[in-house]
Amino acid sequence: MITAGIDAGSRTIKAVLWDSEKSAVVNSGAIDQGVEQRRLAGELVERLLSELGAGRPPIARTVATGYGRNLIDFADARITEITCHAAGVALVAPSTRTIIEIGGQDNKVIRLDESGTVCDFDMNDRCAAGTGRFLEVVATRLGVQLDELGLLVQQSRCPTPISSMCAVFAETEIVGLLAGGRHPADIVAGVQAAISLRVSSMAGRNVVCPICFTGGVALVPGMAKALQSALGHPVAVAPHPLLTGALGAALLALEI
Amino acid sequence: MNGPPQKLCLDEWDARHASLLADGMREPAYGGLLSRHVGERGDTRLRHLLFDSSAAALRLWNFLLTEEDRLRGHRAAGRKLVGAMKDLGTVPVMAFASPDLVAFYPDGAWWTPCLMEHSDGLLAVADRLGIDDSFCPVRAMLGAFVTGSHFPIPELLVCSAGAVCDDFSAIAQRLEPLGFPVFWWEIPRRRSPEPGESALTLPGGLEAPECQIALTRLELGRVRLALEELAGGPLDDASLSASIRAANLIRRRLRALRDLAFTAEASPLPALELLIAEMLALHYCSDRDESLVVLERLLAEVQARVAAGQGVLSVDAARVFWVNPVADLRVMNLLEECGGRLCGTDLMFGHALVDIPEDLPPLEALARVALADPMVGPAQDRARMICAEMRRLGAEALVVSRIPGASHCCREGDIIRQFVRENTGLPTLEIEVPPLSDAMMPALHSRLLALVETVIGRRAL
Repeated sequence: MITAGIDAGSRTIKAVLWDSEKSAVVNSGAIDQGVEQRRLAGELVERLLSELGAGRPPIARTVATGYGRNLIDFADARITEITCHAAGVALVAPSTRTIIEIGGQDNKVIRLDESGTVCDFDMNDRCAAGTGRFLEVVATRLGVQLDELGLLVQQSRCPTPISSMCAVFAETEIVGLLAGGRHPADIVAGVQAAISLRVSSMAGRNVVCPICFTGGVALVPGMAKALQSALGHPVAVAPHPLLTGALGAALLALEI
Repeated sequence: MNGPPQKLCLDEWDARHASLLADGMREPAYGGLLSRHVGERGDTRLRHLLFDSSAAALRLWNFLLTEEDRLRGHRAAGRKLVGAMKDLGTVPVMAFASPDLVAFYPDGAWWTPCLMEHSDGLLAVADRLGIDDSFCPVRAMLGAFVTGSHFPIPELLVCSAGAVCDDFSAIAQRLEPLGFPVFWWEIPRRRSPEPGESALTLPGGLEAPECQIALTRLELGRVRLALEELAGGPLDDASLSASIRAANLIRRRLRALRDLAFTAEASPLPALELLIAEMLALHYCSDRDESLVVLERLLAEVQARVAAGQGVLSVDAARVFWVNPVADLRVMNLLEECGGRLCGTDLMFGHALVDIPEDLPPLEALARVALADPMVGPAQDRARMICAEMRRLGAEALVVSRIPGASHCCREGDIIRQFVRENTGLPTLEIEVPPLSDAMMPALHSRLLALVETVIGRRAL
């Protein structure tokens, strides 16, 4: 049986096809988010399915997650990202006790018990501080692509402290820092440290190791290191962190 | 009981109203269609709510939404109006001891459904007076005083100072130079007694040093004098004691309602109506006797539903303990839409739900209750009480609802959540609910749904 998991996030739509006979992901992919989320998600899943070739079984069940999940009306069920990321991590890093997920507009700390069941979670407040959106604002202001931030940060010699975590105020602050001659690499490193401190503050005293880092921001080089430094614990990036939520959704589709 | 319980939208309630009337429902003078409040008062937010289908719930809503009419009626009948501000549950008991006084709660203006649509401009008036949206939505009260559009201006404002929220103080202080005289009385910040210090146990179980109780008693003595001057006659101990007994009747009904509703296997009353009912303990919607009737009807309905095994939600609903009132009533509907139910609340005024001692001199009794206010002491005291209630009521999760700008909430939520986590291990969630939360609804929905999923997941263990 093939199940599909769709994670309709604020920046990208991710999909994973899971084959329960093989107990394996048989295809996966991601596309940029757009206005017509339902159509985009449907096309992505259709493409992934067609890439499996002729004779593939149809998708038996679909679970949608992510902030746009309610728009995916062809899904059989809709489940929140908290539960889906936990299910995905339970497969790829089963000993995990804390998940840190940083996506386009949310960041989350999810605490798991020994069996991988969600005990508790925290999510950021309504502002973009500490999210992928915050990094996007920074990238735009520095005139680089989001995926270039990682390369840039590797050049940092002296991370610049960023005092404002509001995306709007931080942009103003960055303008001032650039005008003051600070190197963009140091600014990016400072931003990553600020995001990590915010997540660390949200996690509070309740961080139990091992820690697994998921979500699109986990792909940004330097972020895991910054998080590790802020939390004071090792942080492992999940395999294919962008797809963890969609993977969990596909796995949960087996249970509905 | 009138048929299986349901949740109805405003239009459905109109049809339901006709059917209840046809079945012989008798309504009080303030009864009628719920939908009329949209046209008469601009309470357009009501269009977005789901209501319990019982006649008792209809009575509750109509009672709440006609308070302004009642206040005008009191004024027309020659009674003096007392705005009891910040104090939650003490000054109204004193004011109602006189047949010539009626207390009400101007702070409550922030909570009116029409405010939630920003349709009456109260917040814009507050903005113009320098009380902007960095303040708690209680600032709507300022607009209501200036425009006079919500309630008749009371003859006396009695406002507590000291251990009260900064926002509230700033807003109330803004009223004075605008020509609304405020009678201030001080409530000290409750502290734990020093070793060896003479102390007493307050109603509800907290402790306070006797010297703080004495100070509060003296302050309430000043309030009594102010009320006597307004009433034009004495507020003697006998009338105060009678008022305390009447207040306790309401508190007992409310406790019975809450306990039954919170512990029933299937939730017999929606979260929204439970929230509204609790507010009656504070100020009686300007009619203490009718408050009792409203609560008794609700209690009878809940008893009948429980006896019949009927509820408004699935028996599997996640049992959520809710802290603080919401600034947008729709969030109580949302909790249930996400698969949760109320199994307990701490809406900031737990001291207004406990009995006022009847075997003490009345001002002593009222002073002890005033100091039992969860908001005048350390957040840890409140967290401890919440934990105890969560255990008693079998809660599976905690939601702390934060009110934007409310300074008493900014750190308290963290303290309560941490305490509950460490002492119960249950999942907790803090959300911010602004008065107009439309843009926040998807995020609020996700958070509440994730909490419910977490509770359900933990049950399987």
